[in-house]
Amino acid sequence: MVDWRLFEPLFEFARKRSLWIVAFCTGCGGIEMPPLMTSRYDLERFGMMPNPAPRMADLFLITGYVTPKTLKRIIITYEMQPDPKYVLAHGSCPLNGGIYWDAYNAIKHLDRYIPVDVVIAGCMPRPEAVMDGIKKLMEMIENGTADGWKRYRENYEWYKKNQDELFGEGWREREARRWIPWLMDKKKKEK
Amino acid sequence: MANGQEEKGEVKEMTGAKWEREQALVQKILEKAPYAEGRVRRERRIEFKVPADRIRDFLMTLKENNFELMLQITVVDWLKEGEYELVYQMWSITHRTHAMVKTRIPRELDKARMPTVKDIYPVAETYERDAHDFYGVYFEGNEKMEMPWILDDAEQGLFPHRKDFDMLAYVKKKYKILDRFDENKDNYVI
Repeated sequence: MVDWRLFEPLFEFARKRSLWIVAFCTGCGGIEMPPLMTSRYDLERFGMMPNPAPRMADLFLITGYVTPKTLKRIIITYEMQPDPKYVLAHGSCPLNGGIYWDAYNAIKHLDRYIPVDVVIAGCMPRPEAVMDGIKKLMEMIENGTADGWKRYRENYEWYKKNQDELFGEGWREREARRWIPWLMDKKKKEK
Repeated sequence: MANGQEEKGEVKEMTGAKWEREQALVQKILEKAPYAEGRVRRERRIEFKVPADRIRDFLMTLKENNFELMLQITVVDWLKEGEYELVYQMWSITHRTHAMVKTRIPRELDKARMPTVKDIYPVAETYERDAHDFYGVYFEGNEKMEMPWILDDAEQGLFPHRKDFDMLAYVKKKYKILDRFDENKDNYVI
């Protein structure tokens, strides 16, 4: 048997060099993505690319404010990702609410609901700042401190408790069933 | 280029003559709808005040007068007067003119009721749902009124855009953060 732990530094080096991003843009930071991806700031030279499937993605960019409705989708998408997974939060809104500090429909602390590895402050951070955050994340991956996915496993009860407090118990099933009565018009008429 | 110059000349003439075209349009509509008040706000903007129960007749009149599109239904909450002001924003491609149709209804939730205009302008269905979600105006005849729209389950029925909705207390309760939101702003931790 090969002890794969021996190869862990090699794997970490490879992970750092091929971060695929979930194409899931929340809030206003989605507009910072096109210049970041295209020729001006060209992220692809770091081996990063936006990817439509969360099953193949490593990095989750939270680009801006998060509403509770989006947070449900974020949590589900985050749990769909395979295991070394990293979260990078843009801007002040996921950090502490930002300008939405007194708004009823924006999350104040994202790291209560999912673990966040790197937070970039600013409103909005420029692409240079995002690239700086990504560089930081790469360093953290290489020396093994980007361990959000491990923290999510170990402290799942705490995260789940916070999620349930916000959305109410059994929110996943309720959300899945929410539109059923309105989609089935025929059945409604029979009643 | 010649076309553009002509248009510019036209605009100058209109402002010189105190918006003659708009005045004529308002007169034409008011002849058919004597229950309404109308005035010209400025070039290419006209506004009407209509009693709430005649809104359907008035919008039908507007549609006959080439106001093809409804852009928005806005609700303004006048807390001191105890009234909602509904602004139906109409746009005419033919006349190149906006018309704001204003009407007032009481802001108590059981009395804030309007007839739907869905059958005149089909797009109104969406805007009526919007107004119902955030302000609690009930549009009679719109069968999608009870269907969930933008707001999540937690805010459903709270009508958070009403002026007397206590936003800060609700945020404190919902997100369980207390020290940041001191009203005196002495203890303002960010």
